[in-house]
Amino acid sequence: MTFGRKVALADRRRCVACLALLALILLCPVPSHAYAGPGAGFAVLSSFWALFVAFLYSVYAFLVWPFRQLFRLLRHRNVYAKAKIKRAVILGFDGMDPELTERFIAEGRLPNLAKLRGQGTFRKLTTTYPAISPVAWSTFMTGVNPGKHNIYDFLARDLANYLPYLSSAEIKGPKRSWKIGKYNIPLGGPRIKGMRRGIPFWHWLGEAGIFCSVLRVPVTFPPEKFSGVLLSGMCVPDLKGSQGTFCFCTTRTNSDKFREGGVRVPIERKESSYSSYIPGPENPLSGGSGDELKVKFEIRPEPGKNHARFTVDSETFTLKVGEYSDWIPLKFKAGVGFNAHGIARFYLKEVSPEVEVYVTPVNIDPGRPDLPISHPLTYSVYLEKLFGPYATLGLAEDTWALNEKVLDDDAFLAQCYANHEDRERMLFDALEKTQQGLCACVFDTTDRVQHMFWRYLDEDHPAAREIPRAERPTVIQDLYARMDELIGRVMKQIDEHTLLMIVSDHGFKSFARCVNLNAWLHQAGYLVLKPGKTESGDWFDDVDWSRTRAYTMGLNGLYLNLKGREGQGIVEPGVEGESLKEELRHKLNGLVDPESGHVGITGVFDCDEVYAGPYVENAPDLIVGYGEGYRASWDSVMGKVTRQIFEDNLKAWSGDHCVDPRLVPGVLFCNQKISDEKPAIVDVAPTILKLFGLTLPGYLDGKPWTVGISTSRSVELSAAS
Amino acid sequence: MGSLGINIPSGIVIGISLAIGLAMVAVFGYTSDQKAIHVAKNRLKAHLLALRLFQDQIRVVLSSYARIVLATGHYLRLAFKPLLFVIVPITFLIVQVDRYLGSLPLSVGQTFLIQARVSNSDLLNQASLLLPSGLSSTAPPVHDPAENKIAWRVIAEQNGVYAVNVQVADRLFPKSVIVGSGVQRLSPVRLRGKFWERIFVSSEPALPANESVEAIDVQYPAREIAFAGMEWNWIWLFFVLSMAAGFLFKSVLGIEI
Repeated sequence: MTFGRKVALADRRRCVACLALLALILLCPVPSHAYAGPGAGFAVLSSFWALFVAFLYSVYAFLVWPFRQLFRLLRHRNVYAKAKIKRAVILGFDGMDPELTERFIAEGRLPNLAKLRGQGTFRKLTTTYPAISPVAWSTFMTGVNPGKHNIYDFLARDLANYLPYLSSAEIKGPKRSWKIGKYNIPLGGPRIKGMRRGIPFWHWLGEAGIFCSVLRVPVTFPPEKFSGVLLSGMCVPDLKGSQGTFCFCTTRTNSDKFREGGVRVPIERKESSYSSYIPGPENPLSGGSGDELKVKFEIRPEPGKNHARFTVDSETFTLKVGEYSDWIPLKFKAGVGFNAHGIARFYLKEVSPEVEVYVTPVNIDPGRPDLPISHPLTYSVYLEKLFGPYATLGLAEDTWALNEKVLDDDAFLAQCYANHEDRERMLFDALEKTQQGLCACVFDTTDRVQHMFWRYLDEDHPAAREIPRAERPTVIQDLYARMDELIGRVMKQIDEHTLLMIVSDHGFKSFARCVNLNAWLHQAGYLVLKPGKTESGDWFDDVDWSRTRAYTMGLNGLYLNLKGREGQGIVEPGVEGESLKEELRHKLNGLVDPESGHVGITGVFDCDEVYAGPYVENAPDLIVGYGEGYRASWDSVMGKVTRQIFEDNLKAWSGDHCVDPRLVPGVLFCNQKISDEKPAIVDVAPTILKLFGLTLPGYLDGKPWTVGISTSRSVELSAAS
Repeated sequence: MGSLGINIPSGIVIGISLAIGLAMVAVFGYTSDQKAIHVAKNRLKAHLLALRLFQDQIRVVLSSYARIVLATGHYLRLAFKPLLFVIVPITFLIVQVDRYLGSLPLSVGQTFLIQARVSNSDLLNQASLLLPSGLSSTAPPVHDPAENKIAWRVIAEQNGVYAVNVQVADRLFPKSVIVGSGVQRLSPVRLRGKFWERIFVSSEPALPANESVEAIDVQYPAREIAFAGMEWNWIWLFFVLSMAAGFLFKSVLGIEI
């Protein structure tokens, strides 16, 4: 017998002896052994508590079930009687481009999309004006044009002071507070107001008794009540209330501020360890003084090795250089009973000679959400318990960190795909839970990765000119292949009664050249700076509003400085305003980039022509459609006037869709034949409502498509329902 | 001991409960796979939440029930290893504490039974009880031939630690009897053979092997401990307090249970 076998035999004997002893203890009929200490008690309580709760709930469910069924029967008589489908699965891939998709299908990279195209439909999907995600997805869910849902950009402007605010939601402090000395005790939670108008189509489905699972569709924060479950997507803030503020902790001295999206925090050396902190939300007790809450952490590099040990509160973990941590819970303590709960991931960038750590924006903890990020509130908790912590921030992929070179390509991609995998898990859970009804899920990865890696796809992008074509990574090709593989897995999960629809809100184009429209307006005399100034700061600092007739902020909107509307407006509404709009349209349309000779602006659209509805008054007066390769400059977006109108875009953010909407339609794939030749994103909502047999609300702008579902299948469904 | 006598047992239970609660949480944390337990418990909670979130979807509800059962089984499997480390020492500790706190010593003037079980019923007529001064018999013995048992009713007259002898033929078989108050180590039974049963219920040496007497037991009254305005069996009090201590210390030590 070998030594190893002897040891194994001895181990087995010991194990058997232990089990025998345990069995004996448990079987001896002595009352005092019924309880063998808190260890056994905990195990019993923890496990049987769940069974006990489940049992109690079963009893409750069993008792109320007849009443619920009766109620449902009375309220939603034969829900699926007129439905042509049992289930609709809509996969949204933000920014999936039809031309790239066709190209990759032709190259054989996307077998599942090729199959869908063969058996069903592939069309270009007309997008919205402008072709921006919050606008397009709002139209997708409501079936109306932006004039009826009130979302025209990520940002809207405060008419009084020309400053921006988030267009989708407004978050304010509690209504009342109690001032004690220097402290301000908030009485109640924060007030959150959704700014998107219009009713998502899943609301109507829920009303009819059709269950819906909706995951990460943009502009669903704050979540609205309806009959189903929903996890909010794009526009969910981080714990600071921003759209994502990363933290870059470093021992290097650098006083430069990041343009946006991040803060630099010093790391202090303490003998063999280092300490730093993560800035959090404003202290709710500080009464608006701006004091930030902080979570401190310690870094202890291991000498001679390229890893370091981190201690954050009670959590301790070790990271290698170039490695992310799991989601780490962060508790920002303001005082007794006033804590904010967040989660963040740490990335060790460098450990020697300097120490540098990137920390993701602090996401709202889905297991203990301080703001509602799902409907019902417990849905985000359910997902957290099932799959562990996950990114809740609307723009969870930290494009700013890559733009600012805090993260490199690989680190950014690792972050994107980690989030993507979490969402895949959520999707497959929702598919399993939604055997009948609607399952809609939007993946952002396609958008973020194309934004940041288009430079490698473009022939001559200024941000990647020095990299030979053969050495460029095939990030976007891999992205599409990965999405195709996901679609393949979804196709395997669905039956013939399920309608599968793949949609994107817009396509993509190169962003090689920046256009500072404010600079053009300044040079053309429409925007005037204060005397002696040749440039302005951010958000129109140094703009002389008393002589300014037009300005731009955000990605595509151009505004007249209208009297009676803007705080310091000078343009008379009516004839003067209309003629100014015409003048600007005429001059801007076809604007040529003198350096390249290409057309930088291919269309300027009057809001009165492209929008209709009660919220048109909030719309930009003109929508600027940039030509292929062009977009509003980074400065122009932030209301800054520079000297140059055209300049190269040298940032990693090298692809975009905020161009002429005619250039960037989205995609529509369906596993059924759709006969309409020019489908639009606004048609999705009425089409789904019609397929489920619902009467369409009269205010919808979209028209339902003719979907070729066989009559026999419809008959089967009616019989089944 | 006076009024202090009432409080000593509860004080002992509180002290033991706190110490055991702390020790057990630490042992549980050290010997268990904390991450796996955290995940298992979260999954269990998720399936419970699913019952509520998807309540109108009968398929989901039924599968959630099945998953709750499976997740419970998984959790118990994870808790089994630390339980192995915990349950053996705790069981022996409880046995020892039970000898002090499980029963009360006999009090002066109290009548009680001494029973002996012999190896065959023919020996019942040969059995007699020899009592020391301080204890006296109050009635003739009662025979139970079906159970091979004989019982004597005895009264305690004075405090003390006594050895009563059961005589069968010429052989004497001693058994301790304690009359008094407060907390004392009691042995309600003396046994022949039965190693494991002796470990758990007796604190006296084994009766001689191959002899006629198999067991001698003394019926001590059960002890009730006054705590929080209620009368408790010590094991229930220990259960409540050690669990409370455990839950307190698990939060303090950040241990997942």
